[in-house]
Order: sequence, then structure tokens, then C-alpha cells
Amino acid sequence: MNRYSRRQLLRFGGVGAAGVVLAACGKQAGVEESKNITAVGLMPEATKLPDAEVNDLVLLRTAASLEYNAIETYEAAIALGVFTGSFAEAGSIARRLLDDHRGHADAINSLVTTLGGKPFTCGNPRLSEVYISPALALITDDANENPALDVVVLAHALENLAAQTYQSVVTALSDKSLREAAMTIGQEESRHAAILAQALNPGLAGVLPSVDDATGRPKVATVPGAFGPLTPIPVTLGPVNDDGTRASLNLETPSLNAFIYDFVTCA
Amino acid sequence: MTFPTATPTPPTAADRELLAFANSAEFAARDLYAAAAALPAFGDEEKAVLVGFHDHHRAAAQALAGLVGSKATNLRDDAVFNAFRPRISGSNKSDVFDALRELENTLVSTHLSLVGSLDGTEGSALVASILNIQARHAATLALLGGRSLNEALSNGRAPLTPGAGA
Repeated sequence: MNRYSRRQLLRFGGVGAAGVVLAACGKQAGVEESKNITAVGLMPEATKLPDAEVNDLVLLRTAASLEYNAIETYEAAIALGVFTGSFAEAGSIARRLLDDHRGHADAINSLVTTLGGKPFTCGNPRLSEVYISPALALITDDANENPALDVVVLAHALENLAAQTYQSVVTALSDKSLREAAMTIGQEESRHAAILAQALNPGLAGVLPSVDDATGRPKVATVPGAFGPLTPIPVTLGPVNDDGTRASLNLETPSLNAFIYDFVTCA
Repeated sequence: MTFPTATPTPPTAADRELLAFANSAEFAARDLYAAAAALPAFGDEEKAVLVGFHDHHRAAAQALAGLVGSKATNLRDDAVFNAFRPRISGSNKSDVFDALRELENTLVSTHLSLVGSLDGTEGSALVASILNIQARHAATLALLGGRSLNEALSNGRAPLTPGAGA
């Protein structure tokens, strides 16, 4: 004969289940209290980004920052002392292009001043962080067998990046005269890129696009097509890795996270 | 963040007049390269480069025609062609490269002037992409002609004026 009725069993069962749930929620002996459990579902307070407008001044200051990226890179490259022997002529070219970039930076910052903005006189921090510093670290790696060649490869990529940047801002600049001023410098960057392309792949064979028969990869072309490209610029640099490959970077023109807004200053 | 309008604006009626002129100037350049590539002085490798540049000018002219629409004549500007044609001759390759470099620099200056004049950004974006390549043509021709680095990097040519010839 049963000692408990069916109703009593259900009541006791409910009390037991509630006890298990309470025990799970409560402190347990020997277990360190963790804030992670209580923090589930809570969000840290978001820091609001400054309200910024991408206007002509921002675009020009960004262009100036790229000129300083080029200046700083050429200065670093010349300081490495790698332009000797067969690379002596590349050193002469680098010094001439460095002078041009100083002139471009002054010209762009002069426009910035005329428009009432603050000149920007250092390299673009974002581009320095994601492209130039890693590239220079690869170039100066002790295991790198040809730093002089890699310096020319990086310079060629930066000249292409500058040419593309000026071309890309034409549709964003509101003032037509600024579009012309930007492309006046942009076409000089294109000439720089052409000269360095010839240093990397000289002669008539290097003028138009071609493919390396051994690797199947495209060779550097002095004139890459009928229209100025706006595509990522691949760069391969540094020492050969254990797997027989080398590090690659893809350079892209500045966008929202790399623009030099009026609140961005040189460190 | 507020970004300027991402949608390019189409050419205005005045833009189409300017782009039509650029279209005819590009066809003149195409025909001048065709004349250069036919010269017996040039070897196969040189001809390949000249034909490549010829094709770039043809592509530029066709792209401009696409923006101009029915106003595009798709005919070369004879004033531009005739101004350079006498120098695309003979056996002195450096002289021919010099003439073509001056042609390219003239087109670069002309297109720069257009970028500063066009209202619609579709047109200015296209012309900017064309002139960035023609600056490379000019630098390449300076190197092929044995000219100095300074000559490859500089451009002293004045822009063409629509209707005024070269």
C-alpha cells in the first residue's frame, strides 16, 4: 500500500526541483566567484566616434599624408645605404622622387591652408601601421637576401598607391579646380611609377603587361592598361619563409578609417 | 561619418562638347601610333609597344564616346593629326619617340584642363583614369628615346583648345 498519495508526490517533486535550481544559482563551496557569469548580457558603454564629414579639406589632408608616407619611406630607404653597385642608379632616382614628393606635400598643404584648414605634415598613421612599417620590417630582416630590390618594389607600390589615390578622389572633391590640382600631382605619381617599373622590369619587354613563364605570375608593367586602375596593389617582400614563399601585402587607397579628418594630428 | 555622394554625376550638355573633343583627339592619337607602327625603322618589339599604345588611345576614344553619346563623331581631329604627322616619319627612332612623347604630354595637359572644367564626375573620373595612363606613356617614350629622367617626369606642353588645333 502506498504511503503517499499521487498529489503529495507531485508536491514534493516540485519542491526538490526548485531546490536544484536554487543550488545552481547560489554560491558553491570551493568555487571562486566569477564576474563573467554575472556579466553575461551586459555591454560596456560604447565610445561614440567623433562626428566627421569627408569634405575637400579631409581629402586634401589625406593626400598630404600620403606624400609624407612617401617622403618618410624614401628617407628610410636612402638611410639604409642599399643603393650601391647595380642599384646606384635606383638611388639617384629615389633622391629625385623624394624631392618631388616634398614639392607635392608643400603644394597640397598650401591648398589646405588656402581653404582654411590645418596642414598635415606627417605620414598617414593608418597606412604607416598596416603597410609601411610591416614592409620596412620585412625589408630590413637579417634573412632578407635583397633589400635593395625590395626597397624599389615598395617604392613602386607606393607610387602606384599615390597615383590611384589622386585618381580616386576626383569624384569626391566638390571643387573642380581641386580635381585638376589633384590630378596634376597624380599624373606625376604615375610617371614615378613608370620609371620604377622600368627599373624592376626594364626595356621594351617590360612596357606592356606580361606573364613570367616560370611562375605564371604577372610581371611588373610600365603601362598596365588603357585606364588607370583602382585595384589593390599586391607587394611581395622580405626573406623566403620555411615553406618557400615570401610575405605579401595588398595596398589599398585610403578610405573612411584612414582619412585625415580635422581632429587627426601628427603624433 | 558623412561621405560625399558616391554616385557619379552624368555629363552636362557642356561636358559632352568637351568630351566629344577629347574623343576626336584620342582618335588622332590612335592614327598617329598606327603611322608610327608602320615605319620600317622599328623592330617587332618596338612595334608591339606602339600598337599597345595605339590600342590604349582607341579604348580611351571609345570610352569617351560612350559618355558623349550621339554627339560623338568617332572621327579623328585632323588638326591634331596634321600637327604631329610630319614628325612620324624617317628612320631616326628617337625623333619619332620624341614626337609621340610631345603628343602624349599635350593630351595629358588637355585632359587635366578637362578635369578642371567638367561638371559631371562620370566624365572627370574617366578622363582622370585616361590621363594617368598617358602620363605613363610619355615617361616610357622618354626612356625609349634615351631622354633624361627629368624629361620623363616633366611636361611643358600646353593643352589643346577645342576647335583651335594643336
